[in-house]
Amino acid sequence: MAVTSKALPTTISATATQDKPPNKFRQALPQYTAVAPFFILFAIFGAFPVLFSIWISFHSWDGIGQMKWVGLEQYHYLLTDATFWKTIANTLIIWVLSTVPMLLLALVIANALHNATRFRTFYRIAYFIPNVTSVVAITLVFGSIFSNNFGLLNAFLKSVGVGQVEWLTSPWGIKIAIATIVTWRWVGYNAIIYLAGLQAISQDVYEAARVDGASSRQTFWRITVPMMRPVILFTAVTSTIGGLQIFTESRVLFGDTSNIGGPGDAGLTIVSYLYQSAFIKNQFGYGAAVGWALFILIVLFSIVNWRLIGGTDDERLTRRAARRVERRIAAQNAKKEAVDVH
Amino acid sequence: MTLSRRTFLAAGTAAAAAGLTGCGSVSSLGGKNELSMWTWVGSVNDDLIGQAEKGIPGYDGMKLAMTRIGSNYKTKVLTALAGKSLVPDIVAINDDVATYFPNADQFHDLNELGAKDLQKDFLPWKWNWGITPQGKMMAYPMDTGPTALFYRTDVFTKAGIDIDPAAVAGLAPDWDALIALGRKLKQAVPGSSITDNITGIYGSRMAQLPKKYMTRDGQYIGDQDHVRQAFDLAVRVVKEGLSANAQNSSDKNAVVTNGKLVAYNSAVWWAQLGPKNAAPKTKGLWRVTAAPGGAGNKGGSFLAITKYCKNPKAAFAFISWLESAKNQAQAFLDPVLFPSTPASYTDPKLSAPDPFFGGQKIVDVFADSAKKYPGAYFSPYDSIIDTPISSELVNIEAAGKNPDQAWADAQRQIQRELSRAGAI
Repeated sequence: MAVTSKALPTTISATATQDKPPNKFRQALPQYTAVAPFFILFAIFGAFPVLFSIWISFHSWDGIGQMKWVGLEQYHYLLTDATFWKTIANTLIIWVLSTVPMLLLALVIANALHNATRFRTFYRIAYFIPNVTSVVAITLVFGSIFSNNFGLLNAFLKSVGVGQVEWLTSPWGIKIAIATIVTWRWVGYNAIIYLAGLQAISQDVYEAARVDGASSRQTFWRITVPMMRPVILFTAVTSTIGGLQIFTESRVLFGDTSNIGGPGDAGLTIVSYLYQSAFIKNQFGYGAAVGWALFILIVLFSIVNWRLIGGTDDERLTRRAARRVERRIAAQNAKKEAVDVH
Repeated sequence: MTLSRRTFLAAGTAAAAAGLTGCGSVSSLGGKNELSMWTWVGSVNDDLIGQAEKGIPGYDGMKLAMTRIGSNYKTKVLTALAGKSLVPDIVAINDDVATYFPNADQFHDLNELGAKDLQKDFLPWKWNWGITPQGKMMAYPMDTGPTALFYRTDVFTKAGIDIDPAAVAGLAPDWDALIALGRKLKQAVPGSSITDNITGIYGSRMAQLPKKYMTRDGQYIGDQDHVRQAFDLAVRVVKEGLSANAQNSSDKNAVVTNGKLVAYNSAVWWAQLGPKNAAPKTKGLWRVTAAPGGAGNKGGSFLAITKYCKNPKAAFAFISWLESAKNQAQAFLDPVLFPSTPASYTDPKLSAPDPFFGGQKIVDVFADSAKKYPGAYFSPYDSIIDTPISSELVNIEAAGKNPDQAWADAQRQIQRELSRAGAI
């Protein structure tokens, strides 16, 4: 920098200077300097690792030795890797099993919190606490709840005469166990976000609804839910991203390093597989390829979410209004035709 | 110099530049008179490390600076080596030492530092595990994991079986005899098992064999009879109903605590991790005897000196001091590491009777196992091969998968992964 501030002016002033407009870059230099730390840190710790992981995914690398260029080999292996497809199926099943009940439950809880009159702060904190608890600790507790032979849940089921369920060895048991942990952990978080959304809805709308004689169920489905759509979209997208990256739960539930997905790999998620490939089997190239496949998957699902729940309000309203008008015109035309015929 | 805006910015730029170039240089971790060492929790004796932290014996002015790495130990070591900067001088390596062999150029040849003269002090098979197929001595032996049969005397008494260790060893010289014994135990005390799960048996059997998955010259033999027989043995134990089907750690602890696991073939460290921690109330009820099917070894670790080490001679002086017979006997007392130096086995620290095992001198059983273990070649690809076999075994026990199908699936997966890794 000392170079730019001293060398630049001399060279410029030596040629033709006086009537030239001031150097824009020099003028903005203090501002650039002020914002530079972020960009430098981002380049080192944000952009570089991302770009490097693309680079690694075209190589075969064990972590220490020479990197060997293999082109698209890792991706080719990925597409024909039955385990990889299994992890995608596992992740999606766990995601559906956790996200759907979680968001519905969160909406109900948020509604209850919104209408609560006493101990509001207490309830809000109570629901949020699971989210700030260490996920490792939570999973250890759930591990002893779901434990096959001596778990609390099976002890309870046996005492009421239902018999025991193989929570941690059967394919569905594993997925339900993981989904339960995810739901338990994130339901309060989403409820608090929904609560914020609820409180942003103007009371006037509800009053108008009450005057029109709407029941509380009608108010919920016709006013609350539509008005909350942007918030619901936000939680759906964040839950998708989080849900596709489930890792810690299965990792801690099945603590072994050799078999981190549990029996039959039924709890092996995409990120667990990435971790297993890169950090247990030391196939960093393949791990990076799995990571990029996951990236593509997340983008796809975010778009799907956006399409299903989102779109801007204006667009959607005008589209719906346009459809309604069309339908009405069509109906009128049909009526007219019917009249004309007779 | 007054602090103007210009000098402030210039100083900042200079500092940043210095920091960046610092990252690019090849260096080892720690100060000039410090040897840095990385290891995981419970792999060395604290008193000995404390002594070396004051000064390394024979090297005045050099001190040890040890870091206990929490989780993901191996990843952190690999990251440090890949970064070629701030690499620790000495690293501990687990029993997957062979996975480092393809990168043996990252470490010093210990024979050049004088390891050759100390070879006679160590168990021969353990010594050989640290040597690459090219003949380079890459890793120095720490502890070992000789295996034996642990059993519950109270259950044996109920089943009318003599509880004397020598008698039990005579009753169950091989796995068939152990299965027969297991049936008898189950009749007397329903629910009795001789393993926590299917991979427990498979692992114990494989740990006794003189060969594993690959030959020294890189041929895959994991589809041959010796592996298939271990596989079938594990399946048989499950079919006989002698496995507790405990697949995760809390269930594994539970079968020890509630007394379902009445006989278990495992390594010396299991005494601590298993009954002593999980079932302290069973104190006095356990005994150990020679394992059916012969001596075996599960686990054990190594020390290696990285090529970035600032003073390899001092580092070797330290590791050979730390792993001397006398000091290994010391380490048996605290984190319960079984010595790789036979001279330790007669040390009074090891031969004291263990009240948890009813006053039995358990070291005799394990020392015998350690000396008799035939030793097998560990290849860099063993973990790639072992993972599919173990998970297919779990499929058999937990999901009732057909064993032949499971074996075929495991072999197909192994072939695929080995050919990608360039091993076959």
